[in-house]
Amino acid sequence: MAKKVQSYRSYILKQKIVPYLFLGPNLLIFSIFIILPAIIGIYYSFTDMTLFTFDSPNFIGLANYQTLIHDEDFIAALWNTIKLVVVTVPIMFTTSLLVAVLLVQPLKAKGVFRAIYYWPVMISAVVVGIIWQWILAGNFGLFNTIVKSLGFDPIDTLINPKFAWWSVVFAIVWSRTGYYMIVFVAALLSIPESLYEAAEMDGANKLQKFRHITYPSLKAARLMVFILVTMEIFKIYPLVVTLTGGGPFDSTQFTVQYIYEMAFKKYQVGLASSMSVIMLLIVTIFTALNFFMSKRGENK
Amino acid sequence: MKKMTIANYIIAGILVFIFLMPVIYIISSSFKPINELFSSKPTFFPIQWTIANYGAALKRGEFGRYIFNSFIVAVSSTFIAVIINTMSGYALAKFRFKFDNVIMLVILSTIMLPLEVIMVPIFSVLKFFGLYNSLWALIIPPAATPTGIFLMRQYLLTIPDEIIQSARIDGASEFRIFFSIILPNAKPAIATLAIFSFMWRWNDYVWPLIAISSPKKYTLQLAIANFTGEFGTDYSSILAMSAISMIPMLIVFIIFQRQFVQGTVESGMKG
Repeated sequence: MAKKVQSYRSYILKQKIVPYLFLGPNLLIFSIFIILPAIIGIYYSFTDMTLFTFDSPNFIGLANYQTLIHDEDFIAALWNTIKLVVVTVPIMFTTSLLVAVLLVQPLKAKGVFRAIYYWPVMISAVVVGIIWQWILAGNFGLFNTIVKSLGFDPIDTLINPKFAWWSVVFAIVWSRTGYYMIVFVAALLSIPESLYEAAEMDGANKLQKFRHITYPSLKAARLMVFILVTMEIFKIYPLVVTLTGGGPFDSTQFTVQYIYEMAFKKYQVGLASSMSVIMLLIVTIFTALNFFMSKRGENK
Repeated sequence: MKKMTIANYIIAGILVFIFLMPVIYIISSSFKPINELFSSKPTFFPIQWTIANYGAALKRGEFGRYIFNSFIVAVSSTFIAVIINTMSGYALAKFRFKFDNVIMLVILSTIMLPLEVIMVPIFSVLKFFGLYNSLWALIIPPAATPTGIFLMRQYLLTIPDEIIQSARIDGASEFRIFFSIILPNAKPAIATLAIFSFMWRWNDYVWPLIAISSPKKYTLQLAIANFTGEFGTDYSSILAMSAISMIPMLIVFIIFQRQFVQGTVESGMKG
């Protein structure tokens, strides 16, 4: 009996310790490579740290934040990123939803279509940039060859700031639609057929069915897509490196690139850190806005 | 009804063209001789097929080494990711302990803290631990992914507690239970995690950008991006390497297509 009680006790004790052992490696890595850097980053943002400061840097309070408010290039890059988010999120949302709607129609070889639309998702952002650079750039690229064969004059492509900016939008949508399409397909397939049958009995047409059944049923998927796309676009950088390099005239310079160059090319680690903090705040605000707007839609 | 179906096929066909044509064009371009690459009247397919670009790339920028580095990183990081994320998922799915909810919340909230935001201090941390300019910096830190833990936890919740309990009554140690019961039972989720992890690491650019400085340790993506500027207008090697960098993904994709769809649906996976 005594033995049984003891083994039960040791069992309870084990149950308390064992999960921490299983969590150990992950928590260690998270602490060292995410939580610690986050804290250090906030600390740096209040100092005059540079890449070549080897002693402890000087605490300079909010001076970095004051500097960055007056840094026109930073404000421009940040504003450019926000514009990119505001423009690209609805486009991505629409294209992926439309492709998903197409894929739940009666269609043979659905799996093949789905696979082909998903395939660009597997290509690295660096290579996506190369692909579109190769097609778009110059008078003799595939794009301008097609334009010329249609009888038009060649177009200024990646040397035109406007065109370059929209090329970034296009390349993002091209490479990521397949991903969000899958999210929507799953959500569409989980809508009970009986809802549509009932609507049909009431004489609803296709558009009405979409407006009153399909669209409202996609609320969770919609929120997820909005949040994921928003975060993804705030992080944009690798694609731009090979597509436009940030140019022409900084027209495709976005926040991450600016922060990266501030830290690793101009060595202003403290200033770059304060920019990261600002960026994180803005990403958080956007995510909260997404939540808030989807909640408000619910109460309507 | 018939009309609708035909319209569907037409739209589906146009989309195939939009999604597939650019990829085929870059691959076909990689087989063009230099004079065709920069011809003023480019054709979609090469007139004269050649593999010279591949040979040149392998010689020129030590691209063979970069491919090797990418493989080492992707495979070892994936191996570690599978082990430690399954362990964490198991702890969070099958144990009740004091801080379980707090830990779950902390893990999930790290999703909101993208690498791009903390890249500057990460650089300092890597230096401090002597991981800077080492492939280990690309293998160990990224292996712990919050989405991976989440995916494993969700899957392991479906394994009945009775199996674990009866193994405990039989006197199996906790680690034995993990290796002989949990791991084999989690195969579908592990497959999903493994292929996603491989893709994330193989395609990654930002980690290598922060952590690697010497060209000998470049990964394929880092090399392609860095040489795009340096090689200037000489695109032949870049095109060949871009095509090569897609091959492993294409193979993985064809074999594991179902898992990709499944994984995307289950967790909105983001590296």
